[in-house]
Amino acid sequence: MAEFLTTHGLTLQHWLVLTSALFSIGLYGMLTRRNAVGVLMSLELCLNAAAVNFVLFNRYLAPTNLGGAERLDGAVMTIFVIAVAAAEVVVGMAIFVAMYAERRTVDVTRLDALKD
Amino acid sequence: MLASVFPTLVFYLLAAISLSLAWSVVTGRRILRAAVSLMGVLAASAGLYLLLDSPFLAGVQVLVYVGGIVVLLVFAVMLTRTTELLEDHPTRGRQLIGAVVALTFFGLSYCMMTAPAFADRALSALPKNDVAAIGRALLDTGENGYALPFEVVSLLLLAAMIGGIVIARKPAALSKPEVHNG
Repeated sequence: MAEFLTTHGLTLQHWLVLTSALFSIGLYGMLTRRNAVGVLMSLELCLNAAAVNFVLFNRYLAPTNLGGAERLDGAVMTIFVIAVAAAEVVVGMAIFVAMYAERRTVDVTRLDALKD
Repeated sequence: MLASVFPTLVFYLLAAISLSLAWSVVTGRRILRAAVSLMGVLAASAGLYLLLDSPFLAGVQVLVYVGGIVVLLVFAVMLTRTTELLEDHPTRGRQLIGAVVALTFFGLSYCMMTAPAFADRALSALPKNDVAAIGRALLDTGENGYALPFEVVSLLLLAAMIGGIVIARKPAALSKPEVHNG
């Protein structure tokens, strides 16, 4: 096994497979979850996978001729993603609480007031 | 030899943990348990940041995601607890749509990953003190700085905070004067 691990070192593609698998799982959850909070959790999975990707591309693809060793744009973007995720969860939670007070449910299949 | 094997081993370990926990986040029938699994996924991602030599981001991840966002989600679960504790399974049709969309996305992105631009790239070196470098980038008003987005994000957080309070406030507080008049 140690031999396998040394010959199959980590490449960018290993990381990308992992993050896109995480994103796909989140996508599946967003489309199948019935509880609105569960949908929000799946969305967090997607955001998290994308945030990891930013750091990844910063580490592997930063052009060194533009001073890639000194630039941390990916890390900065990850901080922005995390901040936006926090803002989104605050608003989402407020909406769910208001919705629950109004309709007594957060089941997304039964929240169809805009349909009729 | 151990030094070269260790990151790979940790990567596979964290990948296995985060994928299995992510699966339980999206399919578990107990929503509170899903929140705990989500916490595990996010903590494993903090480990991935450490593996990518970004300890500051790992700290931010634990502080904001694990400490803040998951706690908020748990509050949201508890405040919207319906009578039935177990969530119903999604219908076959929804499962099919979800699986098709997710697998299509994964297939498309896998096709893009095999592009030659992504093959065999070496890790680039990072500045010695990444916290100082991130701080300088965030407050730099120059060509490559992020001072304006940084201020916009702080405005966004303020707007989200005020908006959250206004939306979640009891509607009775707004209509009280009318009740008094009537």
